[in-house]
Amino acid sequence: MKKLLLLSLLIASTLFAQVDKPIEMPYVEYPIESGDHDEVVQQYCLICHSFGYILNQGKKSRPYWKGTVQKMVNEFKAPISKEDQQMIVNYLVKHYGYETQSNQSGH
Amino acid sequence: MKHLNRRHFLGAGLLLGASALLGKETPEKPIAVPQEYTPPIIAFPEKKPMVTISDRPPLLKSSKGREIFTQAITPNDEFFVRWHLPDIPTHIDLNEFRLEVKGSVNTPLSLSVDDLKSKFEPAEVTAVLQCGGNSRKYYAVTGQATHGVQWDHGAMGCAVWKGVKLKDILNRAGVKESATWVGFNGLEKPAMDETPDFFREMEIAEALEDQIIVAYSMNGEDLPYLNGFPIRLVIPGHFSDSWVKMLSEIMVMDTYRKSFFMDVAYTVPDNDCECVVSGSDFEYKRKPIAAMKVKSVIGYPSSNSVIKKGSKVKISGVAFDQGKGIKEVMISLDGGKSWSAAKLGQDFGKFAFRPWSFEWEAKTKGDFTIMARAINRIGNIQPMPDEIGWNAGGYQYNAVDNVSVKIV
Ligand code: HEC
Repeated sequence: MKKLLLLSLLIASTLFAQVDKPIEMPYVEYPIESGDHDEVVQQYCLICHSFGYILNQGKKSRPYWKGTVQKMVNEFKAPISKEDQQMIVNYLVKHYGYETQSNQSGH
Repeated sequence: MKHLNRRHFLGAGLLLGASALLGKETPEKPIAVPQEYTPPIIAFPEKKPMVTISDRPPLLKSSKGREIFTQAITPNDEFFVRWHLPDIPTHIDLNEFRLEVKGSVNTPLSLSVDDLKSKFEPAEVTAVLQCGGNSRKYYAVTGQATHGVQWDHGAMGCAVWKGVKLKDILNRAGVKESATWVGFNGLEKPAMDETPDFFREMEIAEALEDQIIVAYSMNGEDLPYLNGFPIRLVIPGHFSDSWVKMLSEIMVMDTYRKSFFMDVAYTVPDNDCECVVSGSDFEYKRKPIAAMKVKSVIGYPSSNSVIKKGSKVKISGVAFDQGKGIKEVMISLDGGKSWSAAKLGQDFGKFAFRPWSFEWEAKTKGDFTIMARAINRIGNIQPMPDEIGWNAGGYQYNAVDNVSVKIV
């Protein structure tokens, strides 16, 4: 958090220099739960966007996370092997989701 | 609301591989209580410290919450920010920047910002910019949570946009008879070449409508970098998904080009209610979201305010629609049983926020729910929260807004 604040102070001083100088974008270190192969998640899920995309969805079901990881691969061309996809889905369900109760019809 | 069985749901997901198309999930009992993540508040270039949902690409909303909607014009340094792709140039040299107009035109154009300012008639419009997913978190209050960033009302604002009419640019280039669609692209680029561009399309007839402008100024200043400097498309009355930022290319086309961000993202079921009646969202033929729906948002007070008995409370907020104009905003203090008209404030034009206010003397102690409901000039009225049609992407939320306060 300290790091963030320092950064934002720096940025504030370079505010209106848009045409002469490049703008400086702050970098945010979003918290990522560790364990359950978070390194695989970090390897792939930060290529195209921050972890904020994941944190701000709210807790989601397994089908949601499975569908979302598939969307990243099929539509956005994230280069993730089947095996790693499964690992990532398990991680997301555990830390940012929930399992659904299995006493529903239609299984 | 109809439920859907799980096998069906999974099948759909595998088939399409696109969660935006997935159906309404069976109401599920979470094992963990869903917790909301609170993003940090950080100052970005030309912005006050804002709630940073994502830094890359930047997704920012005002740190004031509802209070930002006590003003009809949203200040540039508090205006929400929403990009899609991570690679955004951090420097634009206006000597080099060009807007290319090409494709099925008689004379392709390559216009500098200076050309836009000096060689065309200026045009101005005060218009609401609202993300299609704005307020989507409220779908979860009465039904299933929807997919996507769980925005409160923070993904909208209203500004005075000045620039050049799109039709003037297209007419200068001379659109060929064969043209049917116009495509728009900006300088935001994906991290991987294979990821689709944020490419947006519009039918030629719409592109030639009078009100669309290519804006180089916002509230009398250059556009902030994060709102699309140096130019962006402004489509008054429409959700912001096609208000392309850092607009660099206008491509006039003879045929529609298939693209992920047009065909899959930002679409709703193509039926009258634009909602899921039964089954899952993916089973429906899709249509892109376009015209906004009548809506009002309470700016003051915010939820959980504690108000001293006997105080005079000026309830206030903003209302807007697709450009027909707001006819009336009604306030209820008894959970929707009775309604009284709010006072409408200054009219900034039919595409702008219409400010409104309502004087309330807090005479009785207790818990109150304040509701605001807008009606436009063609009789469109906001649905109650339990009446709103549902869609999986959580788009176009416009149910009656409410806040709970305590009088002590
Ligand atoms: C190849 C690029 C890429 C990679 C890698 C990637 N994403 Fe995405 N992701 C995107 C794009 C593009 C979007 C849509 C961005 C937008 O519209 O703002 C997106 C959006 C999302 C969203 C928002 C909801 C939605 O469905 O649009 C979530 C959640 C998400 N990604 C999670 C992940 C996870 C988890 C991973 C790791 C498995 C991942 N992403 C890896 C490109 C990628």
